[in-house]
Amino acid sequence: MASPEQGADDFLAGFIDDYYAECDEHLTTIRRLLSDANPAAARGMPAGTIEELFRAFHSIKGLSGMVELRDAELLAHHMESYLRQLRARETVLSSQGLDALIGGTSLLERVIAAHREGTSSPVIAPAIEALAIVSVPDLTGRPGTERETSIEQPLGTAWSVVFTPSAALAARGVTVDRVRTRLTEIGRITGAAPRVDDAGGITFEFVVESVQDASVFESWANDGIVSTQRAAHSPEIAGHAAEPATGGSALTSSHFVRVDLGRLDELMRMIGDLVITRARLGESLAKIEARVPAVEWRTVQENSHSMERQLRDLREGVMRVRLVRIGEIFERMPFVVRDLARESGRGVELQITGQETEIDKYLVERMMDPVLHLVRNAVSHGIEPAAARRASGKDETGLLTLSAASVGDLVTIEVADDGRGVDVDAVRKRARAIGIAVDEGPLEGRELLDILCAPGFSTRDTADRAAGRGVGMAVVRNAVQELGGVLTLDTVRGQGTRFLIELPLTLAITDAIIASVGGQIFAVPQSSVREVIDVPAESVRALENHEIMPYRGGVLPLLRLASVFGLIARPGRTLHVFVIGSGASAVGVAVDRIHTQREIVVRTMTDPLIRSEGITGATDLGDGRVVLILDLLRTARLASEASAAQALRSGA
Amino acid sequence: MKSIVIVDDSPTIRRMVRAALAGIPAGRFIEAASGLEAIEQLTLGPVGLMVLDLNMPDMHGVEVLQFVRRHPAFRSLPVIVLTTRGDDESRRIAMEAGATLYLTKPFVPQVLAGHASDLFASPQAAQEGHRGES
Amino acid sequence: MKDNYILFTVVDTTYGVASQDVAHVELVEDVTRVPNAPQHVDGVVFSRGAVVPAVNLRARFGFERVPVDARTRLVVVQREGRSVGLIVDAAREFVTIPSETIHPPAEGLTGTTGKYLRGVATIGGRMILILDVTELLNTNELAAQEK
Repeated sequence: MASPEQGADDFLAGFIDDYYAECDEHLTTIRRLLSDANPAAARGMPAGTIEELFRAFHSIKGLSGMVELRDAELLAHHMESYLRQLRARETVLSSQGLDALIGGTSLLERVIAAHREGTSSPVIAPAIEALAIVSVPDLTGRPGTERETSIEQPLGTAWSVVFTPSAALAARGVTVDRVRTRLTEIGRITGAAPRVDDAGGITFEFVVESVQDASVFESWANDGIVSTQRAAHSPEIAGHAAEPATGGSALTSSHFVRVDLGRLDELMRMIGDLVITRARLGESLAKIEARVPAVEWRTVQENSHSMERQLRDLREGVMRVRLVRIGEIFERMPFVVRDLARESGRGVELQITGQETEIDKYLVERMMDPVLHLVRNAVSHGIEPAAARRASGKDETGLLTLSAASVGDLVTIEVADDGRGVDVDAVRKRARAIGIAVDEGPLEGRELLDILCAPGFSTRDTADRAAGRGVGMAVVRNAVQELGGVLTLDTVRGQGTRFLIELPLTLAITDAIIASVGGQIFAVPQSSVREVIDVPAESVRALENHEIMPYRGGVLPLLRLASVFGLIARPGRTLHVFVIGSGASAVGVAVDRIHTQREIVVRTMTDPLIRSEGITGATDLGDGRVVLILDLLRTARLASEASAAQALRSGA
Repeated sequence: MKSIVIVDDSPTIRRMVRAALAGIPAGRFIEAASGLEAIEQLTLGPVGLMVLDLNMPDMHGVEVLQFVRRHPAFRSLPVIVLTTRGDDESRRIAMEAGATLYLTKPFVPQVLAGHASDLFASPQAAQEGHRGES
Repeated sequence: MKDNYILFTVVDTTYGVASQDVAHVELVEDVTRVPNAPQHVDGVVFSRGAVVPAVNLRARFGFERVPVDARTRLVVVQREGRSVGLIVDAAREFVTIPSETIHPPAEGLTGTTGKYLRGVATIGGRMILILDVTELLNTNELAAQEK
């Protein structure tokens, strides 16, 4: 029988994903708060921020203890202790202290990531040391119920709001948590306490400052909420401090649901299928129009159009669920910039705007590294050292701006610096050295970017660590293009450089199997494939003017994709076959090689010059080359029609 | 059917506690993310046991305990305090505020389940003064 | 005025296209072949985030294709909502050609190129053939050609 400790281990193992997810949320909050922090501010870090940071590290500590991640627990404990000291005003936040918090947070992230990836954990001692330096000697850990009542300007009128809970109200969704949320939406809660009334019932009293008028509060009377305006100098409710002014943590029981991205993708696929079915319905209806009385036809048409509209709305609605703040990327940058600036001895100020711009979660994950690379580039190569800047009459501290905005269907991300700009002459020389013909005239915009992204191009030593492992502009551009976006470059010698990334707000993503035929790579949407099998070449038989192959005890018509496309197949003893369609219309389509399965972003191919039956679109697998997406069912049908027609012509 | 109210601001911890206590027969589980929500649950139906975190954003667990014990109907409600603070001072304060049992995190699931099961089954045991951690 | 033109060369002949019709000029990177596309369409490339046909002008004008070299460029033209890339031997100049100096194409210039010409201009002793982008992009005669 397993020991209690072993049982406990198995028990905990089941929660490790929850652990990672919750820590991730806390770390996102921490990054957001730290990226806004400014130790030079007159009143230091606001009490609300200190409180939120404290809670976040405390939670991480507790969770890490539960899953036995000792390093994370210990590090979080030290972060929490420092914040407790800040909260109790035993010390104030200095620039060094902020560095210690930022460094500690980065390290904490890496420790947790190392556990997740199964790699060795980084050493935490330096971070703890850094925190110890800025902390005062810790007295016995006092059980904490210290609260700081913040003295802030009153915001409008004070109201006393009393909520009486009941099973009936709870059934309708009116709970104390909901009421609290409503109050934070219309004002600021300065006090909250439970009460026992004379009859022994329990009520909750909130004190709220709000600029809203009485009508708002009156409308809540049916929800068990009684509101009265308070006189100017009413006594404070004993015992409870103001709610954190920063809007509180998103971890209360919640109007939020954690959603698995996979489920959203499934939903999107289902909607995609619905759209296709509705389109087919539309086509069928069009065919029978002549046989339906006009009045009824109109109704049918209206319903069909309504459905189309509703599907569009549904699709957009689901896509919106995937949207997250771009701040998730931006808020990691201050850490990077601080490290890099210090390493390279430059002074750099980072300004961030547009953090609340929302983008698809998929894009956040893919854009993290490219943006990081552009930021690194700007700090290491764009911004000049202080002396050079002074000499050209600039401010000693370089300015790096990161901004995001959504403009119609697009999201724009801009990384701009006021540094030295791109040395076009050096670029031209280098381009010629690697064999690209460039004329003497001005080199700018797209052409300049093309050259910077050309293979083999780099004006710096690739051993330059600060340039990001010599990753290169090409990777950035490819990542952007793979998502259907565009990267542009503006630069002025001596003044600065601006990179602009434009991304489509919504993406069509699907799973596809990558295969090659006759040396060309294609993508086959997974949903269209029943099966992928290997068939010995010699088991294929010719029957009249087509071929058949053995399949599950029967036979299947076989189509060689190479001949359909006029390519030369690679010879081999085994055929790799996609089984497409079902029942009587099932077909096997042979290709040369089946490579891998992956997600692809679907791009449309609309120009009449390239419309080809059986090609439904294109995608970029990451190297900037177009890969065609095949509709094998259609291709197979066309091929069989063609061969049937040919058979007729040859009088078979 | 009496409910077991699990109070902690961390959704992961709530889930862990719930999983640990899953074996308790005739128990309905309710999760609360804050002190106010925990108290609200007392008004919404019969509660047989509360597992209470101390360090929570809106109301400290000790304050929840104090409020609960002031109310005649809940004076005998079994409350297991489950917290990261393991020092004697904290325990003393919690027990004086009315905790039935004081356990620390990280907790051993079977140990928590054992205590919870006992207290849920026979609340009278809770009334017989304070029990220390076993 | 709209007298600005982008010049490019195909087989030693210089052509001009109104710069307002040109989205941009790029290096030619891998062109993906599209099965069953018209003979002079080399395939497709990505340009500014969109999939764009790559029309080989050498092939279009009846010449033999040559491999892409350091000077080869893709001139992306836009007309009536369509973006199409033209593969040319070289493209660099940006000149102003006043409309008075453009003469209608001579009678003798027939054949494939004749149909796409809007006119001819002589600049500094050099003859520049001004192209009609709409005709160049026209697919109707293609369909006729195929049948």
